[in-house]
Amino acid sequence: MTNATLESLEGEAGKFTAKVHRLPRFINEDLCTACGVCTMYCPVLVSDTYNEELAITRAPHKDYPQAVPASFYIDPKKCLFLNYETCQICIPTCQAKAIDFSQKEERLDLSVGAVILAPGFGRISDKVLARYGYGRFPDVVTSLEFERIMCASGPSRGEIIRPSDGKHPQKIAFLQCIGSRDITSGNGYCSSVCCMYAVKEATVVKEHAPDVDISIFYMDMRTAGKGFDASRQRARDTHHLRFIRSRVAEVRERGDKLRLSYADSEGNHKEDDFDMVVLSVGLESPEDAQSLAVTAGIKLNQYDFCDTKAFLPLDASRPGVYVAGAFQGPKDIPESVMQAIGSAAAAAEILHEARGTEVIRKEYPSEMGIAEEPRIGVFVCHCGINIGGVVNVSEVASYARTLKDVVSVDDSLYSCSQDSQKVIKDAIKEHNLNRVVVAACTPRTHEPLFQETLRDIGLNRSLFEMVNIRDQCSWVHAHEPKEATAKAKDLVRMAVAKARLLYPLPEQTVPVIPKALVIGGGIAGMTAALSIAEQGFECFLVENSAQLGGNLRRLKTTLTGEDPGQLLNEVETRARNHPRIKVYTNTQVENVSGYIGNFASTLSTETGSEVIEHGVVVVATGGREHRLKKYLYGQSKHVLTQLELEEILSSPEKAKKINEVVMIQCAGSRGDDLSYCSKLCCGQAVKNALRLKELNPAASIYVLYRDVRTYGFMEDYYREAREKGVVFINYEKENPPVVMPNDDKITVEFMDVLLGEKVKLEPDLVTLSVGIVPNEVEELAKLLKIPLTQENFFLEAHVKLRPVEMAVSGVYVCGLAHSPKPIDESISQARAAAGKACVPLSKGFVAVEPIVSSVGKDKCIGCGICESLCPYKAIHLIKVDKKKKAETITASCKGCGICASHCPTLAISMGGFTNEEIMAQIRAFGEC
Amino acid sequence: MGREHGAKSGAVLVVGGGVAGVQAALDLAEMGFHVYLVEKSASIGGAMARLDKTFPTNDCAL
Amino acid sequence: MDQDSFKPKILGFLCNWCCYAAADSAGVGRYQYPPNLRTIRLMCTGRIDPMFIIEGFACGADGIFAGG
Repeated sequence: MTNATLESLEGEAGKFTAKVHRLPRFINEDLCTACGVCTMYCPVLVSDTYNEELAITRAPHKDYPQAVPASFYIDPKKCLFLNYETCQICIPTCQAKAIDFSQKEERLDLSVGAVILAPGFGRISDKVLARYGYGRFPDVVTSLEFERIMCASGPSRGEIIRPSDGKHPQKIAFLQCIGSRDITSGNGYCSSVCCMYAVKEATVVKEHAPDVDISIFYMDMRTAGKGFDASRQRARDTHHLRFIRSRVAEVRERGDKLRLSYADSEGNHKEDDFDMVVLSVGLESPEDAQSLAVTAGIKLNQYDFCDTKAFLPLDASRPGVYVAGAFQGPKDIPESVMQAIGSAAAAAEILHEARGTEVIRKEYPSEMGIAEEPRIGVFVCHCGINIGGVVNVSEVASYARTLKDVVSVDDSLYSCSQDSQKVIKDAIKEHNLNRVVVAACTPRTHEPLFQETLRDIGLNRSLFEMVNIRDQCSWVHAHEPKEATAKAKDLVRMAVAKARLLYPLPEQTVPVIPKALVIGGGIAGMTAALSIAEQGFECFLVENSAQLGGNLRRLKTTLTGEDPGQLLNEVETRARNHPRIKVYTNTQVENVSGYIGNFASTLSTETGSEVIEHGVVVVATGGREHRLKKYLYGQSKHVLTQLELEEILSSPEKAKKINEVVMIQCAGSRGDDLSYCSKLCCGQAVKNALRLKELNPAASIYVLYRDVRTYGFMEDYYREAREKGVVFINYEKENPPVVMPNDDKITVEFMDVLLGEKVKLEPDLVTLSVGIVPNEVEELAKLLKIPLTQENFFLEAHVKLRPVEMAVSGVYVCGLAHSPKPIDESISQARAAAGKACVPLSKGFVAVEPIVSSVGKDKCIGCGICESLCPYKAIHLIKVDKKKKAETITASCKGCGICASHCPTLAISMGGFTNEEIMAQIRAFGEC
Repeated sequence: MGREHGAKSGAVLVVGGGVAGVQAALDLAEMGFHVYLVEKSASIGGAMARLDKTFPTNDCAL
Repeated sequence: MDQDSFKPKILGFLCNWCCYAAADSAGVGRYQYPPNLRTIRLMCTGRIDPMFIIEGFACGADGIFAGG
């Protein structure tokens, strides 16, 4: 429901009544074909909010070409008819008759069991931006505006130009932390995403124009996420980006340049001129956060983001209401996606009894048998003027009639419309068609629609072929109608040639054993197991050590003041007593065989081995503190890790004896033993520093850091630590602090950049932030055939959009096994992994697209090339009559066809893409 | 809706059609729940749809 | 040969998930390119058997494009 807002939320978890207010679009979504003619005729200019008001559109429009829903809408604030009852010029221009000014606003009462709030984030106010010249100087732009300027579909078609004079900027400055980490702007927190997007934007500029000089003015480079540091490093080295650690004080205009004044890291005043300044604006809470909080009955934190607890990061303060994305706190896309899946799992936990009660299922008629002889119907679409305006559609249609086996041809204005589906169905019946070819737009969006039409009439959906004569023909050859028409004919001929050979493919499903195996009994594993069990499924929780809890057992406090011990107790008790969870400690996973829906695993327990069957696997094998051989660790009793210090600080008597501590951040990380940033050590150091200050306010604490990465709301604690007198001193990677033995004591020597001289201290303790390494998982990864990163973390299927799934279907990852992360993120991710794992479990089957491979057993010689090449572990050798034969595991097959193209005996056939079909297409290509 | 009185609803309301809202809605639907996705603007996609490319892989955001 | 008069016949094998999608995007963005290309959609360029290429040339292709 677009143009809609939540007005009220009554009731309680399990049975809410939500009132939703929906404003009209004034264009009928079902009729609109998104041709854009109405926009062309509308006389009213409207600034384009999608393009950050850098471009102009008109009252009827859609936000961007790929917008969903794909239909247009009319801006009610600008439309002449809606405001002055004149004009209406758009109505006659719309051939689809979709414009409907009679649409009224609606109020709907919805019965729902749970609510997920994901309203996103708001913008930093112009007042804050004005301090940096925004609004006064046209060449000071926000990072979001710059994003549009760079984009190929943006206002300048991807050409990077200055808004003032349209010239290409030669020197660009990025200013970080605009509206973030700045209490004067009201935002004490760090927005967590700006460092990454600034590096990205700078990289894109450099790829467009390598000679542009780019400086990034920053306080700390907080590229803490998985693989982020490596990308920043690469960007800096390949593109020679200049990073300047400084907060810019002022932006002035100087001729046609912008002059920045700043103080460098040695404290010297500097000035420099730039052609363009990009403000890396932070993430504000959503504009309507307060009203939404009142409506939904939830609490906000001091910055108007949704208030959550560290151990329940997805639960808003009202039961049954969950939160995901930037509204819970500034965060990037993968983190938002994880929370989204996790909050879906949370909703499923409380509503699992009602699962499926309100889903509408569709029934299809049984499939008719088809005659041997191909009888092909071809339907050519005009798509309004989108195709018809360039390609001569009737010429293409007449040409199709001349092709072999084509018995019916039709053309329609919009072949995707409802009445056209009826035309297709009628033609199938009347002409007894057994193959259907539609020449229209792209199969990537519209193939399912036409396949559905075939199924509705009882024809197998694999008897369909689509020809793309819009996106890849009329639209890209708009000025060459003759050639475009010729191309359309060729493509239709090729499709008909293929269609002749199409045959019905079975709709395959694979049943799923509704049980899960969770490997690893730390907080991530326990959280995942509990979520799966609460969603109604049985779960095996396997831990290789003697007790559950993992690293959580060693935590004494959290930055936000929660009690990890209590959490451990609660979660462990719930896991051990849950009727649907079976806990195994001192147990290893020896072997895993099978595929999504049907795994069989051998567990070796203290009492012997046991085979369990399950449908999915969640990997939560965790990580641990790195052990390094530097800074006298393990040689001097004065040198500890942060976790060891945390242990000492749990006893106030011992803490009071500590008068001076030097903490060394990134000890062994970020380009040393470990290449990466462990994301959580800065928070840990701040936590321990604050704890020590609380127990012994006189203690001197020095934190030697490279970048302080207290992102999000952790920034508040970093500020508090500085206010309480904890001293933070920056060091460079090339010039790390030195720890030396000094009789029974210890000496630390480091360079203080501000003082410009070396400092020597003799602290009671040196605490090292050593970073996180994954537990040993090579064996397990091999068993599951899942790739690991260079650092031995599990590699997810897609960094941004599939952060808990892996290349092998039915296997999910969470917690430190995925990457180093703080506890709240592990908990969100664990719930997300449980959510994804419960998708096949709830369905009870895995549906398989008919494009999978199949092996002709007669031709197969059992060479095994296919098995060794398959990236999805979807084909394997079995013994048939004592001979080795390949067999497809349909549930895992993605239809890529690598096996088929490498099979020496051509024994493997791909559904819908057989050798014969493709060869027929190639030969038909040759006929032109 | 034909449910007996007092039983839990099998539907979920998702407020916001950005990447988080859309992801939550898709997963709930896959899990067998009816989803109402409420978005205040005219199209879903939210902030991510405005991005040119994404860090660190510089993949297209759309 | 005169470059303007040469109108090559090019056969393209496009991966559904990337290059075919990119070709669609080119259309959405109304990029214009010469109309010499005829394409075959595959689910992955890994599907391309060398015999497809040979057959393509044998059938008169002047160039073959594999996009994945």
